[in-house]
Amino acid sequence: MSVSIDDARLRAINDKYRIFNQLIDRESMEADDSSSFTFSAKDNLCTREFQARAGSKILEGYRPPFDATPVRKLREAGGLLLGKTNMDEFGFGTFSTNSGFDIPLNPFDTGRACGGSSGGAAAAAALIEGHVALGVSTGGSISAPASFCGVFGLTPTYGRVSRYGLIDYGNSLDKVGLLSRSMGDIKMFLPVISGSDPKDPTSCTQPRIQISQRKIKRLALPKEALANISPEVESTFRYALEKMSLELGIAVHEVSMPSLRFAMPAYYILATTEASTNLARYCGMRFGVPEKDVSQHFNDFFSGVRSECFGQEAKRRILLGTFCRMVGFRDKYYLKSLAVRQLITKEYRSVFDEHDLIVTPTMPFVAPKFDEIAKMRPLEMYSADFLTIPPNLTGLPHLSAPCGYVGPMPVGMQFVAPHWDESGLISMGEEWERVFQLKTPEVMQ
Amino acid sequence: MKIGLEMHFQLPTKSKLFCSCSTEGAEPNTHICPTCLGFPGSRPALNRKALEYGLMITKFLNCEINERIWFSRKTYFYPDLPKNFQITMYESPLGEHGYYDLNGKRIGIWRVHIEEDPGRIKRVGKSGDEVSLIDYNRSGVPLVEIVSAPDMSSPAEARDFVAELLVELRHLVGLSASDEQVARCDANISVGEERVEVKNILGLKNLERALNYEVSRQTKMLAAGKEIIRETRAFDEERKVTMPARKKEMEEEYGYIGEPDLGEYNVGEFTNGLVLPETPIKRAARLQRQYGINAVTAKQIVITSWGMADLFEHLCEKIEPDKVVPKLLGPITSNWTAIEQRLDDNMRAQICRVIENDINGTITDSEARRAIATIAEGGNHVAEERTVVADELVISINEFLDAHPETIKDAKSNPKAANSVIGHVMKATKGKFQSKEIVEAVKKELEKRP
Repeated sequence: MSVSIDDARLRAINDKYRIFNQLIDRESMEADDSSSFTFSAKDNLCTREFQARAGSKILEGYRPPFDATPVRKLREAGGLLLGKTNMDEFGFGTFSTNSGFDIPLNPFDTGRACGGSSGGAAAAAALIEGHVALGVSTGGSISAPASFCGVFGLTPTYGRVSRYGLIDYGNSLDKVGLLSRSMGDIKMFLPVISGSDPKDPTSCTQPRIQISQRKIKRLALPKEALANISPEVESTFRYALEKMSLELGIAVHEVSMPSLRFAMPAYYILATTEASTNLARYCGMRFGVPEKDVSQHFNDFFSGVRSECFGQEAKRRILLGTFCRMVGFRDKYYLKSLAVRQLITKEYRSVFDEHDLIVTPTMPFVAPKFDEIAKMRPLEMYSADFLTIPPNLTGLPHLSAPCGYVGPMPVGMQFVAPHWDESGLISMGEEWERVFQLKTPEVMQ
Repeated sequence: MKIGLEMHFQLPTKSKLFCSCSTEGAEPNTHICPTCLGFPGSRPALNRKALEYGLMITKFLNCEINERIWFSRKTYFYPDLPKNFQITMYESPLGEHGYYDLNGKRIGIWRVHIEEDPGRIKRVGKSGDEVSLIDYNRSGVPLVEIVSAPDMSSPAEARDFVAELLVELRHLVGLSASDEQVARCDANISVGEERVEVKNILGLKNLERALNYEVSRQTKMLAAGKEIIRETRAFDEERKVTMPARKKEMEEEYGYIGEPDLGEYNVGEFTNGLVLPETPIKRAARLQRQYGINAVTAKQIVITSWGMADLFEHLCEKIEPDKVVPKLLGPITSNWTAIEQRLDDNMRAQICRVIENDINGTITDSEARRAIATIAEGGNHVAEERTVVADELVISINEFLDAHPETIKDAKSNPKAANSVIGHVMKATKGKFQSKEIVEAVKKELEKRP
């Protein structure tokens, strides 16, 4: 592998697809030919040379004094960081349309969304050859854009990759992962970014990652997964399952996972609850937007900054989350959701007793058009994540792989593995890659 | 009257609770990093030593230790709180349901937990033109919070309680001496039915003052038939009064959630394995019991110095405790600074011999006192044995008698005549001998004379 993209071409691609909100400028840098691959970081991962704004206006001007651990590790492995990819503000969205900056456009149809919240990351993976994109998933933010942009997206087990340097959404849910056109890149770089990091105590209880090819034989398909799936996606998905059975000898069994339907409410309660505390620190002091009229009372000062700089969706989630942890609601919502999470984890375990992996479509539809998204109500948007949320809620590793196309638009399927079994996902992904005809978007010359 | 306390003490770790910044005092905003400033992307990592100290204190206070503990976020907006939430403990404190025996009275301990300190706000500038400056050096400094039951019944008792706890904790985990001034307390006090909370009282003196003020305020109100309202008040150190404080959120409105970045800690086994050293107040109680000395003396010995208590116990192996005490509180205490610097086996043996000689009358009290002073300065002088010193006394008496034969004659008919001999010898021997000893020796020598 070698760095094959020049700055002019990168700028041209970015002008068209709005992948990055900040880009490398190699002309002003000292020549460094030692890089062997390019990578990008989602805007919520801290790096020294770029602002880290997590898609939010409230972080305008924040240049972190440190590198996020996964970024540092990719640099040390010889990677060249191209820039910071666009995303939904703090990860709050399914289409990367809730951004304080640019909204990335789908590589297969610029009238459609990339998915989110790692939308820019998925577009970069689809459009730049030999590129690996660092994405972050809280409730499906790697799977969704991987599915819409027709690339592989691996979300590791919670705690596998250090979150040091990640701007928090929901700390008990956030995972840093990888998106790429090629399973080979994911296989190569996942062990690089994995491992214990004393700077993130939740990464320190993991077993050592070991990737070894193994034969995947039995998949489980929860029958609850196919309700509310668009007919084109369902037929594309079923065709892929048949292909797996015929060409790879993988059996798919239908199972029932009744607790999955509780995943979405539990997820939104936990994620917004944690988010509402994480976002408390943004008050126009110490970092981010410059201090304004400091002669005001502190309450007026920070309320003013927050009203002005947070987007609609961020405000909605702060309100939701604050509500869920208030006295009287805390037991009913927050503590109950923690219990639901345990229940679903248990149900997953019993399915893994009999099966290597669980398979479902990734998203219920192909990448929607921007005008369709504009008409969606928040609850409809939240519902689009009903298949990506369960593994995220339970911290299970999962992989979205392209499984077919509806017209030009990619369809994704999602594999879920037991905790720490990223190796099973990579084995599956590589086998599938061998028999699947991956389409790459046409990039202008 | 009921008084309950919520006490905060800084734990003596080198670095902060969740980052490696120093806890030492310094120029404002120099001991800071992304973590204790709450920068996006930063993360807490627990200082194990702080947890260990917290657990030692919890165990010391006889609490039931929680096997599994975790931290919580207490969210409120204040400029000195970088994340606008404080990492503390809520559902799972280190321990609960403990007690402390204060001068024979059991004070309940409701809970013990550790948490991070916010920064400090300083108001500067002319009145009307003030600005707030924030120093984040303190942000993230580890604190232990101890909540007592309302088991104290006077301001003086509350002060004694905190003072004793400080003595004990200083020895247990090494709180620095200056913490006496910075012990921060919130006090709940009720004279009648309803309680009032006085927040943020700094130091022991202020604690007693604030409580005394509240006692008289509440007593006067009750006497005037007025109702005491449940409220939070603040102590004004300058004017020495308590005033109604700003309406703070009720405890439940902080919207506590678990701190997901720190996970859970199973501390049961670790805590069982912790061996607590004997603390000063407990040692004093043991000394009183074991050696039959009075409580005040026992406390005085231990609180003067841990080494003095060691010396006391060493001396008591050979000498009766009630003989050791006067020497310890007398010459040993007055020379303690010098003794402490040089105390070793040899010195201990010398001191022991001096006291033994004094007891068996070989040397006088004042000789013993001088001997101890000499030993303290590193000299190897031990008062010499009986024959030599006795000779000195006899020689002195006889010199005088030889020079004043009329006294011998007088003494035959008038016993008071001996007084002039005694007076002279006392002066001449400069207090080396006990008066009783001199009287007896003079009597004996006079009898020898025809």
